[in-house]
Amino acid sequence: MLEAVLVGAVRGGTSILYAALGETISERAGVINLGVEGCMLVGALGAYATAVSTGSLALGLVVAVTGGMALAAVHAFVVLERHANQLAAGLGVWLLGLGLTSLLGQSYVGRGVDGFANVPVPGLHRLPFVGPVLFDHDLLTYASFLAAPVVWWLLFRTRTGLALRAAGERDEVLHAYGRSPKRLRYLAVLSCGGLAGLGGAQLATALAQNWSENMTVGRGFVAVGLVIFAAWDPRRAVAGAYLFSGAVALNLQLQARGAGISPFLLTALPYLLVIGVLALFARRRVHAVPEGLRKVFESGAVS
Amino acid sequence: MNVASLAGAVLVAMAIFSLFVLARGAAPLQVLADMATSALGSRRAIGEILVQATPFVLAALATALPSRAGLFNIGAEGQLVSGAIGAMAAANAIGGGLPTPVTLALMAAGGIVAGALWALGPTILRVAAGVSEVISTLLLNNVAFLVLAWLVHGRWKDAASLGLPQGRDLATTETLPVIFSQRVHLGVVLAVVAAVVVWALLRFTGWGFRLRAVGGNPEAARRAGLPVGWLIASAMLTGGAIAGLGGMIELAGIEGRVRPDMLVGFGYIGFLASWLVRHHPGRVVAGALLLATIAVGGNSLQLDAGLPAASVNILMALVLLAVLGRRGRAMPGVA
Repeated sequence: MLEAVLVGAVRGGTSILYAALGETISERAGVINLGVEGCMLVGALGAYATAVSTGSLALGLVVAVTGGMALAAVHAFVVLERHANQLAAGLGVWLLGLGLTSLLGQSYVGRGVDGFANVPVPGLHRLPFVGPVLFDHDLLTYASFLAAPVVWWLLFRTRTGLALRAAGERDEVLHAYGRSPKRLRYLAVLSCGGLAGLGGAQLATALAQNWSENMTVGRGFVAVGLVIFAAWDPRRAVAGAYLFSGAVALNLQLQARGAGISPFLLTALPYLLVIGVLALFARRRVHAVPEGLRKVFESGAVS
Repeated sequence: MNVASLAGAVLVAMAIFSLFVLARGAAPLQVLADMATSALGSRRAIGEILVQATPFVLAALATALPSRAGLFNIGAEGQLVSGAIGAMAAANAIGGGLPTPVTLALMAAGGIVAGALWALGPTILRVAAGVSEVISTLLLNNVAFLVLAWLVHGRWKDAASLGLPQGRDLATTETLPVIFSQRVHLGVVLAVVAAVVVWALLRFTGWGFRLRAVGGNPEAARRAGLPVGWLIASAMLTGGAIAGLGGMIELAGIEGRVRPDMLVGFGYIGFLASWLVRHHPGRVVAGALLLATIAVGGNSLQLDAGLPAASVNILMALVLLAVLGRRGRAMPGVA
């Protein structure tokens, strides 16, 4: 049973991991994007519909990433050019993505797709326990193993990453170096949208191999919460994503074994787990908050 | 937010919406005309708008009041659902036999308490553990619907419903009286009263003034000796209570029984309504009426054009984004 839970944690956590990595980049640059939930939906439908219509999964990924970026661009524009409140704009962007994918995805509901199959890593997948948990997944899940260290490296070991983090901490420093915080924030928010779109693509074309309205059911919001838990560190985001999806996988196992607890209540547990984890870690994370984000929260809900 | 720029926002939203309808292969002008007819074409439709706006007003107040203290309550959705659950539980506990006004008052009390309870977790986490209410209220929305589904599929399932997951039909004593047309119930009046009361509380009481102080600058408020934690808690819980009343009203005024997909999206629409009018409790009614008009018009999307009902989210989101995107005051730190 532990093995099944861990397998489910990794495969089911991939979409959330991509979204959480994207959100980490965006928040490091000082922009909270609650629209990731919508970007995931757009990515999910984009990849799925493209794969169904053209038979090309690769093209599907391109559409998913582009679509996620396009929706994130709306957020970036409203927030960066028009100074809209980030949280309200993010929810608006989410609703936009939800409505759009409901409208455009209607004819694709439940059609099924030949999506990303599991590609066992030769040799390694035969290892006991470790094999099925780590080496028998779809390509997008393997790619996500690399994505977390790559995002960490980009953020903490490159000049652009340094500048991007500066945009989220003290943008006046950037002006002194002749770099535009706004341009860096655009880069960050669009990357966030693209990664969330990729996560959505994994959800629809690899995990579920299907499309249904609002199929992310809050995974994007979970990702935003996990970024706080992860203290804006891409490496810890991995733990957060697998923790949530591990709880989901555990539920499925319990339900399959007839645990005698309502499946509805079991389904609620992963969400409560995320809230609980936030409660445990909130105090310890206070000093990790990028300075620019602090201002977003403290400026309050006024206009 | 003046009327002209709001109208402009609606027009921009409708234009962009038309493009997507076109992309979906439907005729946008026909769709918009059908929506307009559906929303404004008859006396009955106007009544529908009032009825639809009612839960939006209460959800919007649940957003607007905490925002005065600088809080983001995105949990009106879950608090509405919790309120409906609380009202149903109260009705079940009474079990009939009491006069209508008493029954309805107790159901309202059940809704109010349940709505506040649903806000209690995020409140405690915010005040005691420093957890931002943004994520906790958002995630609890999903949980509220799961609790509702658990009850409706389980102990509250009506044996006479032929296997449909829904609760028993409310009795006449448990139903809000209709005051106008066919469906316009007493809850419409209650929503307006709630808006006036919230406006008056914030405008004329010391509590309202202190909430604004906390929302403006919590550190200064703390130094001035204000009990910031308690003030934040009172704002959040009052917000939850108002949304809880909204859940009761929707149950006892329109639904008539608990269903798993009742109230879906209403809390978020209330959130939008509050933002459209910059959280002004009096104007919340106008914001809610605008979005209710879109929502009622949206019913025709499904009936006439065969488009999914959730498509109206596009219109609502675009209206919000257009309003937010009007070049407003620059916010500190967000450039």
